[in-house]
Formats: sequence, structure tokens, C-alpha cells
Amino acid sequence: MNNSPQSPLASPGPALLAQMYRRMAVTRHIERLMARHVREHKFSGWWHPGEGQEAAGIGATAAMAVDDYLWYQGRGCSWAIGKGMAAEPILADLLGKVTGSTRGKGAGVPHWSDRSIGVMGEGATLGSVYPLAAGSALASKIRRDGRVSLADFGDGTAARGTFHETMVHAAAWKLPLVYFCENNAYLVGTKLRDVSPTENIADYAAGYHIPGVVVDGQDAVAVYEAVTTAFARARAGEGPTLIEAKVFRRQGHYAGDPQQYRDIEAELKHYRDPLDVLGARLEDGQAAQLYAEAETEVQQAYAAAQAAAEPDASVLYQDLYHGQ
Amino acid sequence: MANDMQNIGYNAAMSQALVEEMRRDDSIFVLGQGVATGGWFSTEKGLAAEFGADRVLDTNISEAFQAGVVAGAAIAGMKPVINMGFGDFALIAGDEIFHKLAKWRYMHGDSFPMTAVVIFPIGAMGGAGPEHSGCSEVLSMHYPGLKVVVPATAADAKGLMRAALREPNPVIFHSSQALGWTKGPVPVDDEYIVPIGKANIARAGSGATVITYGSMLPRCLQVAERLAGEGIDLEVIDLRTLVPLDWPTVLASVRRTHRALVVHEAVRTAGAGAEIAARIQEEAFYDLEAPVLRVGALDVPLPQHAALEAMCLPSVDGIAAEARKLMSL
Repeated sequence: MNNSPQSPLASPGPALLAQMYRRMAVTRHIERLMARHVREHKFSGWWHPGEGQEAAGIGATAAMAVDDYLWYQGRGCSWAIGKGMAAEPILADLLGKVTGSTRGKGAGVPHWSDRSIGVMGEGATLGSVYPLAAGSALASKIRRDGRVSLADFGDGTAARGTFHETMVHAAAWKLPLVYFCENNAYLVGTKLRDVSPTENIADYAAGYHIPGVVVDGQDAVAVYEAVTTAFARARAGEGPTLIEAKVFRRQGHYAGDPQQYRDIEAELKHYRDPLDVLGARLEDGQAAQLYAEAETEVQQAYAAAQAAAEPDASVLYQDLYHGQ
Repeated sequence: MANDMQNIGYNAAMSQALVEEMRRDDSIFVLGQGVATGGWFSTEKGLAAEFGADRVLDTNISEAFQAGVVAGAAIAGMKPVINMGFGDFALIAGDEIFHKLAKWRYMHGDSFPMTAVVIFPIGAMGGAGPEHSGCSEVLSMHYPGLKVVVPATAADAKGLMRAALREPNPVIFHSSQALGWTKGPVPVDDEYIVPIGKANIARAGSGATVITYGSMLPRCLQVAERLAGEGIDLEVIDLRTLVPLDWPTVLASVRRTHRALVVHEAVRTAGAGAEIAARIQEEAFYDLEAPVLRVGALDVPLPQHAALEAMCLPSVDGIAAEARKLMSL
């Protein structure tokens, strides 16, 4: 079941820590690339930067087996990279090329899919992730295949009806489902504290009689450990867990957002870069080496994506129906 | 009746196909409100007893959850079936049906087989009121990626349900509330199938083509019998599938009869008939001897009062009058 370099029930060992750091560094280089890309108007889609929040996706996916189902709905690309996707299809999707994981279709905003490693795709109507993830969790329960489904979402969609409709059933049926909230304190530009009755999204868990866990979302290892515990519980047939990672949104809601709704300078005084937090757990010099390797990988992937073909009109009816 | 046929109800015929397919394919499961207790219209009668709680799941009253679970399970390779009770409830689960079920594969550039059957019973049932009597089939037609069937006979209810359960695309299955308890001859054969996308010429004729589906088929056939006595020979086409619509059958008939009348229970404005009439005039304009006419329900929410409701729906008299008008043009 577990394809990680380290047993998920233990803390991550050196090999897994290095893999996590390497993948986080890849996402950071893609962030830098996309920021430049948007400034130079080379990008036709919408980019929602994930910088600062990478420990959530990297830590959580490191605790998942390759065939566990990931339904992400987060910023940046740390979820897809963390689950094992390479930089090239990610970048090719962002550039709208046929070598992207969506073959130029681009999914929602745009986004990525690779069902062979459990990256199930992403919808662009925020908050739509919950019942979809419950669907694969229910499939696993019926098939008894031992897989767990994870629904990643932001604090802003915890108010959605489907959050609660789905949790009612997941808890009642003890589905192998983990809710993973990235709470970055902002819903686009609205402060969560202005529209939420609770400080913690995890508090909602009490209403469903399931564990609610708050974790340091800047620390990938803390996230890994929380998700590992939740997955073990889900695999044992004990039902869902609601994990809330407190994360820091380093950039605006979208690339170019002037962020007039926040005092970013004041907030940055409390910022801990998740790369630094994870890098401190590595051996001396290892972080710098992995960071440089990741940069080379992203540059090569970017060159390949730029050289790839644009989709033409022949794809317009492709995939509308099976076999078409 | 031959011993390879049985006289059973329309909903029972749907259920029969479902049971037979669940026996041969354990990836099929059913969920919905009340399905474990047999379903509110007996469509799921006996399922829970035979297949158990793992494959026949009662849910809360939570349409968005139900439809979203169907989409997620189908993407994960299961073949979910949901009975949402009423077509009007499609709007409560709009994101899950029209974005996720319809678009997921397309927007991810993936064409994997994805079976999901969403049963949306449509139409009036004698006073169910404005939020339980609507015909929502045009919504499903307007979101590419879904297939849409509307059986009008018990045999088609069985054959189309089997086709939907073997279809590698999501199917919106609009059963007719008005026809749910009507009985008809249904093949006993547990391989009996009605292919999706094929219309049926329910009555051959030469004077004009009546194009209909679902609950209006029996009324159109009555009209044809009545007008035959007046020397008007109507051909009645039962579409059976709205997506993909069997245009070759429709257009060939219209080219023979030179006149067309579209009849459906849905409100007239922007109903399926608008698309059908437009397409006929685009493709067969020079074969027509009269404008394509349409009969649908009045453009009002269907009143709760059964007598008022009946005034809104296409009647045999109303359809006959429109057919006579078509012949006089």
C-alpha cells in the first residue's frame, strides 16, 4: 500500500525528508517562474500563487500512498508535485500545451490530473471538492480496496453547504476520507475572522463526532504526522478526520493582486518560510543542493513546455464522450 | 401474451433492468433518499434485500451531496445510480451534475469510461406543485457531456436503463412521473436493451410528423387515432433519447411528410421543441410545406391545484387542434 520511502506510521526518515524538500523546492521555482510569466503577460489563465503554503501539500501528500485518492483545491502546485507529478506536465498545462496533463484543456484555472498516481483533478467552483472526494472514498469502502481519499480545501469554502452535507454522511458511514483545510486567514480578500463563528475550522469536527486537529501548516513534518495519523484511522475503518493547517499566504489571491485589504509588511514579521523550516531538518548543505537540482529540473521542464505544440481545433470535441 | 413477454409497470421495468445489471456487475451501486426502503415510487423495490447496505445506500435529503458522490465514485471507476426523486431537484445539485459529471473528463483531457446514471423523474403527477412537477430535460441537453434519455413505454424503461448502465458516459435518465404506474408489454429477456440515440417510429403515417417523447407519447398516439378518422394520417416519432438526438430518423420522416409538430410536456419557451423545430427548418426547410409547430405546457409554474395543473398541460384536444392547424397551413 505504502510507496513512500519510509513507513507512514513513523516520522519521516532522511530519504523522505529529502524527497519532500526537493518537491517543495520544485513548487517554489515554479512559483517564481509563474510570477515572471504573469508580469510579462505570457499566461492566458489565472494563477493563484501558493508561495508560503507549500508545506501543507508537500507534507500531506508525503503521507499518502501512490494509489490513495487526492482531490485538491488549493493554491499553487504543491499538491500535484507532492503526489508525484513531474514539473513538465504541470508547466505545459500552465502554458496551454498538448504535453500538459490535460493535453491543453487546462481543467479549471488551469489545473492538473494524473489518475495513475491518484491526482484526480480539480474543479474550479471552489468548495466542490467535498462530495467528489466522498465519492472515491465510498468507492473504496464498497470495494474494500484500502485506499483513503483526501479532500484539500481552503478556509473560505468551509462555509459551503457541501462541506457539511458531505461530512454528515462521511461521519455516519465512517468513510475513509480526510478533510484537509488550508487556513490562510483570507477568503480572497475577506478576513476569515469577519465571517466565521469559530477561530478554527477544525472546531466543526465536534459536531460530527470526529477528530478535529489543528496543525502548524508551515512545518511539512507536522503536517505529515497529522495526516499519517488520520490516514491510519481511515484505513482502520474508523472514519474521517478534519485536519486544519494554519498556513501563510505569502502572495495575493491572484498574481497581480494589490492586496489593499492586508498589511503584508506587518504580517511578514511572523512569517516562517516552509522551505527554511523543512531545510533545517536536513543535513548541512543538503538543502542548497536539492534547491539547485530542483531549479535545473524546472528550467528544463520549462524549456520543454515552451517548445511543445499548442492544441489545435482537432481537440475541441475530443473527450466530450468516451471514445470520441 | 407470448411467454417471452410480461405485462409490468414502467417503474417496475426500470427496476428490473437495474436488478439484472446489479447481478452481473458488482461495480453498480444505488443511492438516494429512501432507496433502501424501496424508493418513493417503488423504483428500487427489493434492491436492499438482495444487494445489501453496501450497494443500496439511503442518504439524507442532500441532493448536492448525492450527485457529487455519484460524480466522484464514477471518476474512481464505480458505476453509481442515483434516484433524485424529482427533476426539479436538478437545480439543487447543479454544480455537481452540470459541471462535474458533464465536464470532468473533458476539462482534464481524459476520456476514461465513466458510467453514472442519474434518474430524474419529470412531469406532472396530479397536484405535486410547482417545485415537484417540472420537466428539466432541457437543462441536461444544454450541458455537453451528458447523455439524456426519456423512455415513454415500460419496455423502453427497461431497455434504456440497461443501456444507461452499460454506457461509458454519464446518463441523465428522465423517467416520466405520469407513466410510472402504467403497464405495458416488456421482454423478459435479461439482455433486452434499447440503444441510446435511436428514436422509434411509434406510428407510421404520411400526412405529418409528430415528434414527441416521454409522457406525451400516449396522447400523441391518441390524437393520431382520432385524426385518422378525419383523413389525417400522422406519423408519430418517439425520440426516446434527447442526447444524442436521432436526427436522421426525424429529418427523413419530415422530408417524407413535409410537415412537423413537436409535442412535449415541458413549458414551451426554450423547451426541447425549440431546438428540434429550429434544426428541422435549418436542415429541411425546402422540404417543408408549413412552419414547424410546437405544443408544450403553458409558460407558468405548474399550480398545485390539480384542475389548474391540467389546464396548463398539453391535452389530447389541444394537440389535435394544433395538428389540424398544421394540416391547414
